[in-house]
Amino acid sequence: MVKNIIPTSLNEALELLNDRPFKIMAGGTDLMVQRRAWSQTPPEFIEDVLYIFNLEELKYIKEDKGFIVIGSTTPVEDLLHNDLTPFLLKEAIGIMASPALRHMATIAGNIGNASPAGDTLPILYVLDAIIVLESIEGIRELPINEVITGPRKHVIKQNEIIKEIKIPISVYTDSVFEKVGGRKADAISKLSFTGAVNIKDDKVLDFRIAFGAVSATILRRKEIEEKYVGLTKEELIGKVDEIVNEYDPFIRPIDDQRSNKEYRKTVALNLLKNFIITL
Amino acid sequence: MKDISTSILKIDNEEKANGSAIYVSDITIPGMYYAKTIRSTISKGNIKKITLPEMPENYTIVDYKDIPGKNVVKIIFEDQLIFAEDKVTYYGEPIFLIVGPDKIVITELEKQINIEYEEETPEFEYVNSAVHYNFKKGDAKSAFENADKIIEYEYITGYQEQLYIEPQGIVVDIDKNGKVTLTGSLQCPYYVKNAVLQALDAKDSEVRVIQAVVGGAFGGKEEFPSLTTTQLAVAAKKIGKPIKMIYEREEDMEVTTKRHPSKIYMEAAISKDSEILGFRSNVAIDAGANIGLSGVVLSRALIACTGVYTISNLEVKGDVFLTNTVPNGAYRGFGAPQMLFAVEMFMHHIAKEINVDPLELRLKYLAKQGDLTSTQGTFNDPIIMNEMVDKAMEISDYKQKKIDFAKEGVHKGIGMSWFLHGCGFTGSGESTHINALVKLRKDKENKVHILIAAVDMGQGIRTTMKKIVSKILDIPMDQTIYNLPDTDFVPDSGPTVASRTIMIVGGLVARAAKQLKEKWVDKEDITVSERYKQPEYIKWDEENFVGDAYPAYSWGVNIVEVEVCPVTFQVTLKHVWSVYDIGKAIDERIVMGQADGGIMQGIGYGYLEVMNCVDGKIAQKNVTDYIIPTSVDTPAMETVLMDNPYPLGPYGAKGAGELTLVGGAPAVALAIEEAIGNKVFNIPVTPEYIMELIKNGKN
Repeated sequence: MVKNIIPTSLNEALELLNDRPFKIMAGGTDLMVQRRAWSQTPPEFIEDVLYIFNLEELKYIKEDKGFIVIGSTTPVEDLLHNDLTPFLLKEAIGIMASPALRHMATIAGNIGNASPAGDTLPILYVLDAIIVLESIEGIRELPINEVITGPRKHVIKQNEIIKEIKIPISVYTDSVFEKVGGRKADAISKLSFTGAVNIKDDKVLDFRIAFGAVSATILRRKEIEEKYVGLTKEELIGKVDEIVNEYDPFIRPIDDQRSNKEYRKTVALNLLKNFIITL
Repeated sequence: MKDISTSILKIDNEEKANGSAIYVSDITIPGMYYAKTIRSTISKGNIKKITLPEMPENYTIVDYKDIPGKNVVKIIFEDQLIFAEDKVTYYGEPIFLIVGPDKIVITELEKQINIEYEEETPEFEYVNSAVHYNFKKGDAKSAFENADKIIEYEYITGYQEQLYIEPQGIVVDIDKNGKVTLTGSLQCPYYVKNAVLQALDAKDSEVRVIQAVVGGAFGGKEEFPSLTTTQLAVAAKKIGKPIKMIYEREEDMEVTTKRHPSKIYMEAAISKDSEILGFRSNVAIDAGANIGLSGVVLSRALIACTGVYTISNLEVKGDVFLTNTVPNGAYRGFGAPQMLFAVEMFMHHIAKEINVDPLELRLKYLAKQGDLTSTQGTFNDPIIMNEMVDKAMEISDYKQKKIDFAKEGVHKGIGMSWFLHGCGFTGSGESTHINALVKLRKDKENKVHILIAAVDMGQGIRTTMKKIVSKILDIPMDQTIYNLPDTDFVPDSGPTVASRTIMIVGGLVARAAKQLKEKWVDKEDITVSERYKQPEYIKWDEENFVGDAYPAYSWGVNIVEVEVCPVTFQVTLKHVWSVYDIGKAIDERIVMGQADGGIMQGIGYGYLEVMNCVDGKIAQKNVTDYIIPTSVDTPAMETVLMDNPYPLGPYGAKGAGELTLVGGAPAVALAIEEAIGNKVFNIPVTPEYIMELIKNGKN
């Protein structure tokens, strides 16, 4: 028989996790769908479930030593209304799912679920987010791209919990998040595009690009971005076709019930191009 | 008393808003069992062996061997089995039920069932024609022989899922004498009763059907519940227990009927001086694995082959094709949405080919009172489409927008569809198949009971019927009673389908009310009845498709404005305008509700709602993957109703339910066509399709 446990503190949760395997659930907006069962019967969990959503000590957003730090059980709706939340993250949350879901969904859930279509993930990639994992043995910090290793795959250990997400504070003169879904709200991405630049005194100081749902994990190529740092804005715009060609081979989407690979690829590259030429 | 159209509060507002309305899912009977359907997991083949687990006490399966009567669902064409026997013809076909008191145990048992098949190659293409119709008007042969030019195009439409918010559900109860009572979410209590009577081989008094509050239907609960109710009735007979069966969302989306996908081939014969001499059309609809009522869907499509236009020479043919896929069935519009999309696109495409302003071309052929219909019947009643078109163009600033949007670099488009919908059953169905009977009973307290089998599924007839009766009898609304239909108490006034309820049933109710008014004696129990009589001037030859296919038509104009993003090819709806002639609104706000919902359902069909069958399985089987418009996608809408009373409808009312859907798809498709500058041939016009059209399309 599956056991459902609601810990009253982070420490209790960590003790339990150290003791035996659990499925960790925060808002459950993905998990309850994935484990759905015949109505009026329990969801089909095969492992014990640890409900952490009411751990108040993990509900926070604060500024700390050059980072915005978001506690893992903070519902994304709270982030939407907080001045500390980075602009791009608000953009992604603003068109995520529906209001009801946003009151339950968490960023940590997006990470744990590790779907290539997860709405906040491209933002975490672009902003170089650090994921703070805690276990009874201590704390380790990993960049987001090292946490997620494939569709629905991550390196979080059985005894670890996502404690918080640390986002380095950074400045962008221009940034966009474009989610291409089946409709204007309450849709799963067919693909997404995130772009951010910092241009100061006509010099590109920072240039970051991420794509969602066009490869096994969020696509971000730092080695491509770095090539274009130091250019003037005009030079960057002049190299738009070259940049599009650089990303082309890495964009390898799939056909599925929501869209097809030709569309996903064409539109991903269109969005990249449009972002650069409209800077 | 005020004008009948003046809106009042719907009588079910309160129970629906406060949650006290009893839907089938809310019904619990002590000792009730649950049923789950075990279905085919292949598209075609023979069942070689079924291995069942050891069944615990009180758990049993119910299959075709338990059916006392015929193993076939009684609907228009009887070819759908209640349970599969030795072969299966589509993925998801019901084979048997597992019934028992505990859902968790049923789920465990289900996992242990093993069915071995001998698979055969399924057919998914349009090759097996099961029904073929054709008819002619005038002399199409000469028209095409004398043509200077022949213009031909093919139009393709996809599935559409009704996506009522409440899935299919039925509860059956059985008394000690073996009488079964079925309560469910359904549109046609007497369809269900007759189907169950045949399956059980029972006497009329042994089956009772009660309508629960219905959470949406859109045609999806027209014939489909006849299947689930017969299954549960058979189970109740075998087990002797009350049983409940409510479909889960995915089950509902995978195995229940949908709008027929279609391929429509249109040809026009054009003379030297750009006259349309005639049309030839060839319509193919995909029925899925059973014919069911697909033949009737095809007839409605064929009859609509010239839309609102008068074309003198016609050659029309069509086929219902059987494929090894989920059976398709009734959906608001019933064949007309497919055909009207094709006709409206075709008229525009002809205009482009012959270099004529589409508006001019369409006005030239717009039907007028006295014109012959596609089936050589007569448009007997006044047609006010010219005024309606003017009104629609005026409120939308259509002409100016046409000019503005044609400019370079503007990614906007405005599209206008004209359409009509025949009210009531096709052909002589009302008199030969339905023969509706309604009753009004005045009790000793002078309360008037409206005794009809019409189902309120959100379209408001619990309010509008009471309104008609109270106005005619000049009594307060609360002196009239209209309970949810129960076949033990109400006569068969026919199914709640085909935009017939207000016009046909409401017309009979109005006549009964007038009769009651004359016979009114205070404090006496009086019952009056009225039976449908086909108007004398309506003649229909069912065999040859000649005559008046419908007693009356409702008309409409939709204008849709869109913007298409040149980067992502996504469509944003900017504004929708509609003008309708539904005769006379019995309640304006109720009609406006129909109008707003109907047009969004029609537009959704045209640009958003993608459903594909991949290897015989529905690929979009939940509300995450099957995308319908949300309120965020819905633009500002303006609707104008223009009175044009129909003499035989109550207060002049005609049908309104389907009309508001059928023009949505061509209007949005035409708007997109204009925005991108490429001809559109398929719906839904998705961003993926728009991308393809921009790459390879025709101007």
